[in-house]
Amino acid sequence: MAPPAQSQRSPSPSQPSGKGEVSDLKMQLRQLAGSRAPGTDDSKRELFKKAISYMTIGIDVSSLFSEMVMCSATSDIVLKKMCYLYVGNYAKYNPDLALLTINFLQKDCKDEDPMIRGLALRSLCSLRVANLVEYLVGPLGLGLKDGNSYVRTVATMGVLKLYHISAATCIDADFPATLKHLMLNDPDAQVVANCLSALQEIWSLEASTSEEASREREALLSKPIIYCLLNRIKEFSEWAQCIVLELVAKYVPSDGNEIFDMMNLLEDRLQHANGAVVLATIKLFLQLTLSMTDVHQQVYERIKAPLLTLVSSGSSEQSYAVLSHLHLLVMRAPILFSSDYKHFYCQYNEPFYVKKLKLEMLTAVANESNTYEIVTELCEYAANVDIPIARESIRAVGKIALQQYDVNAIVDRLLQFLEMEKDYVTAETLVLVKDLLRKYPQWSHDCIAVVGNISSKNVQEPKAKAALIWMLGEYAQDMQDAPYILESLIDNWDDEHSAEVRLHLLTAVMKCFLRRPPETQKALGAALAAGLADFHQDVHDRALFYYRLLQHNVSVAERVVNPPKQAVSVFADTQSSEIKDRIFDEFNSLSVVYQTPSYMFIDKEHRGPFAFSEELENLSIGVESANVASAQRVEANDKDLLLSTSEKEETRGPSSNGSAYSAPSYDSSSASLIASQAPSELIPSNQSLQAHAPQASLAIDDLLGLGLPVAPNPAPSPPPLTLNAKAVLEPNAFQQKWRQLPISVSQEYSINPQGVAALTTPQALLQHMQGHFIHCIASGGQAPNFKFFFFAQKAEESSTFLVECIINSSSCKVQIKIKADDQSTSQAFSDLFQSALSKFGMP
Amino acid sequence: MPVAASAIYFLNLRGDVLINRLYRDDVGGNMVDAFRMHIMQTKELGTCPVRQIGGCSFFYMRISNVYIVIVVSSNANVACAFKFVVEAVTLFKSYFGGAFDEDAIRNNFVLIYELLDEIMDFGYPQNLSPEILKLYITQEGVRSPFSSKPADKPVPNATLQVTGAVGWRREGLAYKKNEVFLDIVESVNLLMSSKGSVLRCDVTGKILMKCFLSGMPDLKLGLNDKIGLEKESQLKSRPTKSGKTIELDDVTFHQCVNLTRFNSEKTVSFVPPDGEFELMKYRITEGVNLPFRVLPTIKELGRTRMEVNVKVKSVFGAKMFALGVVVKIPVPKQTAKTNFQVTSGRAKYNAAIDCLVWKIRKFPGQTEPTLSAEIELISTIAEKKSSTRPPIQMEFQVPMFTASGLRVRFLKVWEKSGYNTVEWVRYITKAGSYEIRC
Repeated sequence: MAPPAQSQRSPSPSQPSGKGEVSDLKMQLRQLAGSRAPGTDDSKRELFKKAISYMTIGIDVSSLFSEMVMCSATSDIVLKKMCYLYVGNYAKYNPDLALLTINFLQKDCKDEDPMIRGLALRSLCSLRVANLVEYLVGPLGLGLKDGNSYVRTVATMGVLKLYHISAATCIDADFPATLKHLMLNDPDAQVVANCLSALQEIWSLEASTSEEASREREALLSKPIIYCLLNRIKEFSEWAQCIVLELVAKYVPSDGNEIFDMMNLLEDRLQHANGAVVLATIKLFLQLTLSMTDVHQQVYERIKAPLLTLVSSGSSEQSYAVLSHLHLLVMRAPILFSSDYKHFYCQYNEPFYVKKLKLEMLTAVANESNTYEIVTELCEYAANVDIPIARESIRAVGKIALQQYDVNAIVDRLLQFLEMEKDYVTAETLVLVKDLLRKYPQWSHDCIAVVGNISSKNVQEPKAKAALIWMLGEYAQDMQDAPYILESLIDNWDDEHSAEVRLHLLTAVMKCFLRRPPETQKALGAALAAGLADFHQDVHDRALFYYRLLQHNVSVAERVVNPPKQAVSVFADTQSSEIKDRIFDEFNSLSVVYQTPSYMFIDKEHRGPFAFSEELENLSIGVESANVASAQRVEANDKDLLLSTSEKEETRGPSSNGSAYSAPSYDSSSASLIASQAPSELIPSNQSLQAHAPQASLAIDDLLGLGLPVAPNPAPSPPPLTLNAKAVLEPNAFQQKWRQLPISVSQEYSINPQGVAALTTPQALLQHMQGHFIHCIASGGQAPNFKFFFFAQKAEESSTFLVECIINSSSCKVQIKIKADDQSTSQAFSDLFQSALSKFGMP
Repeated sequence: MPVAASAIYFLNLRGDVLINRLYRDDVGGNMVDAFRMHIMQTKELGTCPVRQIGGCSFFYMRISNVYIVIVVSSNANVACAFKFVVEAVTLFKSYFGGAFDEDAIRNNFVLIYELLDEIMDFGYPQNLSPEILKLYITQEGVRSPFSSKPADKPVPNATLQVTGAVGWRREGLAYKKNEVFLDIVESVNLLMSSKGSVLRCDVTGKILMKCFLSGMPDLKLGLNDKIGLEKESQLKSRPTKSGKTIELDDVTFHQCVNLTRFNSEKTVSFVPPDGEFELMKYRITEGVNLPFRVLPTIKELGRTRMEVNVKVKSVFGAKMFALGVVVKIPVPKQTAKTNFQVTSGRAKYNAAIDCLVWKIRKFPGQTEPTLSAEIELISTIAEKKSSTRPPIQMEFQVPMFTASGLRVRFLKVWEKSGYNTVEWVRYITKAGSYEIRC
């Protein structure tokens, strides 16, 4: 029994095509097919093994189909199994050849050995070929009546398989009714369980179209059926028990006595070794007692010990699943685990995901009595070598502080964090101190004293920087150096990449100015000037807004920017209680792990067939001709600008529904409406500003010391580069230009991982870029390397930019090469391109 | 899983597919690519064992050098999925005879496909009991090239057993010598603060059994746990004997244990499966006897020198001894040179894990060996004093000792033929996560 030859010879992930090997195999199989010599079976085994190992690693061996089938006439059961496996995999794509197998499968279904009967029946149902279902009905019917329970278990699942191939055939043969009968009467528990699974699936799917089916689905929850299943609960395998308990959890008992009877019957399930059974029982108990508050509390007490055991036993993945459920329960009953908090202390070697959930648990169970211990423990983690965990623990400390337990001591701890002088600790702590101050302004004195000592140079993370700047503005009068720190930050405006920080900087300097005008005047002037010249729209707008506000009236500005604030009493909770209840209803499922109700991640609209385009090997220009064509079509529509918007919608409607490819072009054209307006709006505002600035100076400019017209004037900023939304370029023209033009910009940078995650297919990126008026002319490649050719045109003139963009999705790196007709604007275009790319994958 | 699995993949660490079994058509055939691309090749590998990509959820577990991935397209039961993987791996191991790794999978892939067919049908878990499956999946795992002759021994009524009432035991077993082995295996988890106070301490124990008994025996096990003893004295109306009683926080049992009887009479009675199995698991948080005390003192002498003294005290009986004791003492990353003396065992500096590793093969009770080390550091400019020091970790095994104090009081075997049995009971305590902060 040699290991698969393939694995030895070529262990690399880039598989060989295997053509040579496959045809070899074909030859050998053909030779063996008719042979009856002794020892044939052994050589067949070897060959079959080879075929299956090729199949596993992804080599297409479907060409062997007829040889495999010919060789399968054997009495060797292992050979049979291998052959069935092979046939099951390829029958779907070779329905004609699959017909060849039907004969001997049907014969095997009547074999005297029940093992062979079952095996053949299972394989027969796994062929998944729609036009062969007629051959299924007979054997399935016999299988359901078979004297052997093994065959019956296989047959029950076979009915479900048949239903998925052809629902009508399954219903017409009246199999559901047979299953129902078996479910209530079969002596074998596994048969019963399989019937239940099959019926649940069939009737749920049928329920949308047939009223009878939805009645039947309801009937599964009727008292006789539930009782019949519950009375046999101990006969079921552990997995089947999970299925039964899940069903029973939906049952509504008629009165309290019934509830107690059921709980008494099932209490010992909490001691089952299989964690899944325990969780299913817990769900059942919680659901049963929802309306009985006292008992519900007792149930919590009862399930505590089993849950804690589950957390500490089993693999870390299992602990993770259990901890997610515990977290949900703790949110509903925090008191319950408050004395068991020590169970959630992290062990040094636990994986990140377990530690993170444990930190959340610690946060959730904190109350007056245990806060001191919990926070002490969390502080240990904050000094931990594991940086993500250190960050999480600091956040946890902050959350506990916001819950109002023992704030006094916690503030001290937080301030100690700042003294640790580790960048990431400082960063996290600053964000927390900011939130704390919003809730407890009374602590400002203590905090500010410490925060004032932090050098802004040591704070690099945008969130932390923003928090620090917020505090500088908010507590300007308490911090001696506030204006000067702000000033130095403004000096480095251009190096500040985060728009959030720049926004905060503007606000902070305003606040500071309103409190300490003489010291801040210069900084404010510089900030407004920089803000007005800023590339980011929000920053620009805010700067402009402040500028005009000051011009209008300083005291109004004070009221707007720096009104007296009320302490925040409760921070907004992101999840509504309705959603939480829904998640609770779906206890013991993925919803709990994702912390989202299932409809949000299961609904069909949210998902599609998850397919990667595999034919992307060829990078020839013009692959996207469909795309270009539709863009042209839309453009033709757009030419007639006299058409009203609504009319345009109509004319475009059909074309956008026409093909998958036209969707992006539709986006771009509707966006173009905005774009074509945008420049015309922007420019006047710029102009008016320019016109405004010199004369507006009067009073305020004196105050600001901005005598020179240069400062608030956006003149130094180059006119923003706007792109033509409806750019057109023939593939040939692209190729020609690409050959002729020199490379004007060549860059390499990283993109955010969300972007890469969204890059499941090249199309996703194309649509996105088209939204930014950058069009794709060709794309290709395979994960992790994608290659794109983009082009764009300037709005006013016909100057074209060409881009070659290579994205490596595993390293998150992007390489771009830009060629442009007008070399002077290529840098501006490069920035535009980068910013468009960086928004990819963002919600 | 109440909601079925659509596919199972086995991948090696590089992402090559070792086994792929599609159960349903509701996921695309290229789910492996999605997994490779969005999980394996990103930093997110290992940050979360459940991930959603493109409407499908992936559950993955790493077992030695193999990833097992389950793909589902609906709102599946997570706990059930992971438990299934764990059980499946146990099953494979019992077929391969030991290791479950890439090589074992490559050498047995046909067998694995056979098993995957039996243990799951159309995504629903079926029978995973090795005892039963071994009756009809006869192809033996390739343990040695010489044992390649297939076990063709026909088992006439195998299928009757497949789903029979006592699903875990077949009838008609016969042994010449009837033996039962019972092991109580405990692992102690400890987290001690640098000041020497116990932050967290618990014991998770399991009782492992190996039965070679003929027929359909009924077994009854008595422990010195509190509830059981109280119940017994109540029944026999005589006062509880003095002596240590153990309070078990939580107990779970193998499916063979008659739970109804446990709940009413508090005795563990069962019809055991043949061969090896885990009878019960328990957890204890109160009254744990720690086998070792660790007393570290760490002094920093200036910027480039440190002095480390660690004393380990064994607090179990002097006649007992611990085996395979390893103490890992963390040292700073910038360690340049270490000098140390130990009064027992051997120590060395392991730069790869930044630890002094001190090994003592045989560690008698009531002794206290010490390690004293001097550590020279490379002087660095940037870092101030590092306040981040991982905990000291310990590994050990102490035979004939239970940290919880649990003892077997009796193990009775009853079978209708009335044969005699030999019972063997062993105890062992191992270190779980035994951490002492310093």
